[in-house]
Amino acid sequence: MKKALVFAAVAAGMTTLSTGVQAQDCTIKIGAALPTSVDWGRPIAEVAQFAVDQVNEAGGAGGCSIEMVLRDTQVDPKVGVDAAKALVDLEGIKVLLGAVSSGVSMPILTSVTVPAGVMQMSCCSSSTAFTKLSEEGKTNGLWFRTFATTGVQSAMGAKVAADKGWKSVAILYKNDDWGQDMSRLIAADFAAAGVEVTANVAINDAQPSYRAEVTEALTSQPDALYLALYPTEGKSAVREWISLGGTQNMILANSLKSDEFRDSVGLQYLGNALGTDTASPRVESADAFKAAYEAKFGSQPNGPGLANSYDAAMIALLAMEAAGKDASGADIAAAVAKVTDPNGTAVTADTAGFKAAKTTLAEGGTVMYQGATGNVRFDANGDVSAPAVVWKFTDSGTEEVEYLSLTEVDAFIASLKK
Amino acid sequence: MIQHLVDGILVGSFLSLGAIGLTMAMHILRFANFSHAELLSIGAYCALVFDKVFESLLPILAAKIGPLSMTGALAISIVLSAAITGLSAVLIDRFIFQRVRQKGEELSMVFASFGMALIIRNIIGLVFGLSAELYSKDIAFAMILSRDPLLLVKPDQVFVLIAALILMFALHLVLSRTTFGFSLRAVAENPSLAQVHGVNLKCMIAAVWIIGGGLGAVAGIFYGLSYQITPVMGRDLVLPIFAATIVGGIGSVYGAVLGGFIVGIASNLALVILPSGYSPSVPFLMILAVLLVRPNGLFGEARA
Amino acid sequence: MIGVISYLVFFSTIAAILAIAVLGLNLQWGNTGLFNGGVVASFGAGAYGTLILGGTPQDGHWGGFELYYPLALLGGMIFAGVLAWVVGKLTLRLRHDYLAIATFGVAVAFENVMRNATTVTGGAQGIRGFERPLQSLIGSGFTYNLMFLIAVLTCLALVYVFLERLTVSPFGRLLRAIREDETAARSLGKSPDKVRLAAFVTGSVIIGLAGSLYGTFYAFVSPQDVLPILTFQIWAMLIVGGAGNNKGAMAGAFLIWGSWTFSGWALSRFAPVEVQLYTGSIQFVLIGMVIVGMLLWRPQGLFPERLVVSQPGGGSRGKTQAEGLT
Repeated sequence: MKKALVFAAVAAGMTTLSTGVQAQDCTIKIGAALPTSVDWGRPIAEVAQFAVDQVNEAGGAGGCSIEMVLRDTQVDPKVGVDAAKALVDLEGIKVLLGAVSSGVSMPILTSVTVPAGVMQMSCCSSSTAFTKLSEEGKTNGLWFRTFATTGVQSAMGAKVAADKGWKSVAILYKNDDWGQDMSRLIAADFAAAGVEVTANVAINDAQPSYRAEVTEALTSQPDALYLALYPTEGKSAVREWISLGGTQNMILANSLKSDEFRDSVGLQYLGNALGTDTASPRVESADAFKAAYEAKFGSQPNGPGLANSYDAAMIALLAMEAAGKDASGADIAAAVAKVTDPNGTAVTADTAGFKAAKTTLAEGGTVMYQGATGNVRFDANGDVSAPAVVWKFTDSGTEEVEYLSLTEVDAFIASLKK
Repeated sequence: MIQHLVDGILVGSFLSLGAIGLTMAMHILRFANFSHAELLSIGAYCALVFDKVFESLLPILAAKIGPLSMTGALAISIVLSAAITGLSAVLIDRFIFQRVRQKGEELSMVFASFGMALIIRNIIGLVFGLSAELYSKDIAFAMILSRDPLLLVKPDQVFVLIAALILMFALHLVLSRTTFGFSLRAVAENPSLAQVHGVNLKCMIAAVWIIGGGLGAVAGIFYGLSYQITPVMGRDLVLPIFAATIVGGIGSVYGAVLGGFIVGIASNLALVILPSGYSPSVPFLMILAVLLVRPNGLFGEARA
Repeated sequence: MIGVISYLVFFSTIAAILAIAVLGLNLQWGNTGLFNGGVVASFGAGAYGTLILGGTPQDGHWGGFELYYPLALLGGMIFAGVLAWVVGKLTLRLRHDYLAIATFGVAVAFENVMRNATTVTGGAQGIRGFERPLQSLIGSGFTYNLMFLIAVLTCLALVYVFLERLTVSPFGRLLRAIREDETAARSLGKSPDKVRLAAFVTGSVIIGLAGSLYGTFYAFVSPQDVLPILTFQIWAMLIVGGAGNNKGAMAGAFLIWGSWTFSGWALSRFAPVEVQLYTGSIQFVLIGMVIVGMLLWRPQGLFPERLVVSQPGGGSRGKTQAEGLT
């Protein structure tokens, strides 16, 4: 059976080779359960669809063209789980992209995808609970996420503060699963780097005003401000902070890499603001995603989760290609290692890259996908690590200030742990 | 500490404005209107549209007034938005609440208002998009009133406070000095008796909605001026405004004013004691505390 | 075909769980006239209680006692009941619009505490539960879902029979008597406050049961499960189904949850991608319109309350001044 599959895959690859990029006469559906009704959720869905379009341009995956069926989760676990179940049962999907919130992804994983043997790839769920679940062997290897940023990012934040010589920092964090994680990690990393944390203040969703929270952080008179927020509450809190005369030395999590945030706060106040993010490795081809995105949407891919969502879709589709036609969810999940192999042939994150990957896979080789979030590499629990970058805002978007390779990141994290 | 207190008073000013309308409607129509806070959204978004229109028609109006981030265009927009919001409140009542009132019981109204809130909020989201909007992108810097203890106040906030106080005083004059005010109170006390004495009920109800909607719109715009406006601001404000109403006592305009300030101050001061994650619970704790001590609020009267 | 059946089983499980919650609310509102604006607090108490008691221990968490499952389930219901008793003690003597707001506030505060009390509730990350009961025996596939559905339907049937009995019992008559005319009931030597509290707690325990089953089915609960929108959904089910009628309440649950999920499916199937991005907002507008429309044109719901007591004019609930106004 396995052999037959491999043979089928090779055969499919050969056909693609010989026929070039002609449209396929069959269609495979993949599911996406994303919160399209939320302001930051909509672009995440758009960019996943964009990845699917690129793959179809390259002739589809697994020998067929791909159709992405998108369902709205409304950030409501009930609705999200039901949508996922409908995708699995009614549309017959083998791969599910989503969800964004850990609170939605988790029940989908435990009650839908794992029992049904469907591979689930989330762009943005950050909860450490997934790692634990996987360690207990309850995900059957079906769970992946392209969200690498919590640990790497907190370490980078501490590095920025230490490099700049900021002695004390106040933290404002979003009071959700990601923000609570960030606040805990960054506080520990600051302490390890010898930076004093003067205040660690939660910013709740849906509050009429953040005045009191900002005042709370302000009274401690820190050298700098660390922000683990989304643009919506981020701009409100930062405008308040600046108008009250707070320092303009700021360290931003990658969720604030957003034009909306820059425009509403004003570039003139963000001169001393440095952001952190995970990054692509230093090869020219790694800018492929950025270029393709700009061509399609007319702006830089700045916003929470965009690059992660693109990589999630791309890797899932590459794995489908590697697993071949009629592969099961487990087969596809097993094939993820083949397309994120550190020793494999490097391919870029665009149509051309996908075509190149098809050729390599058809010849029985493995592929190293150089994605929008970097040289994605999953560990046994479906978690990723990646190189990191420090960035700042400019007129047209963002520009890179400093780049750290994967080894440098690992070394710095290790130095903090001491 | 003193900064929190001052901030609380400034936040309280728009909560009070919102609560006045709510308390009047609740008193006369006897139902907890969960869609009242949506009137603030309607007002704020109306002003956003008018503001843009006036600025493009008469560029001179786009200039800022003194140290405020308020423009002439926005000032005119406030008046227009208040009128439109008042009118839409009357229309919502005519077409929805009044009919539900005739059909069912008062608590059906509570649920109808839940439904209305959902409809209004999401229609605004569909029309204007889900992300937050600002009247002015410039950041207005705060004035330093004192360095030790540090005390900062934004000019906009002072303006909002003074404007709110003037509006409240005007309302006070209307309610206490005019025939209209007497009729309104008569209706609230005993509708049947008031009607016997020749008070036109329909007009009175419409008047309450116009006042409530108008003040709500002003509150929404002031809120937007101080922070930002989003389609879900009604959802964020509904509990604090209810808290202000209940703390003051349903039906008491002066109670609502005081309640707004109390809730504003309490929410700000709470952070001194509670971890910041718990701030959304504060309005609720206020409600509970007041109800335990005075079941009808500070100024409310017991009523069956 | 198997897919369709598998999905229907899954859908029915959630709908039946919600139906149990609607039955609980019906006891509070339909039969007793208590406006509970914080349904989600009882629901969440049940879910959190069960998962804390029955869950596996985790680092940094105080919970995870790995209790025998039926005990954990019971514990969740008791937790919901205790919370309701405290809330009821504090708020039931209030005017009903105060009650609506106070309970709404309870729900907001409940979500807030669950989000922040990390050591007990797992904070925003939520609590990951246990191996679902008997899962090792049956496996996690279709058979398990089917068995779970049967278990939930059994619970639903038990609750239904219990409430039907209660409605025709002297206690049920007392509830309606108090709802219709509190003063009259008081003059007959009844104690409305106690009776109301009993009904409120019983209803909340039933809602708590629904929450427990919900937490069990997903083996997970997080603050996102206890947002105010759930209160609204459950109320919508009761209003559409018909307050005061248990059959209507259950029908309402299936109907509303069905249309909620169906509209999502239909929009993703037939609407163009650009429109799909707005489906969430459109869905909320539609559901709001259904509610308001029901209240305008059929306030008694699809299945109106049957009057069990043969009293003339029992249908009108305490004339209010507001009615005199229009």
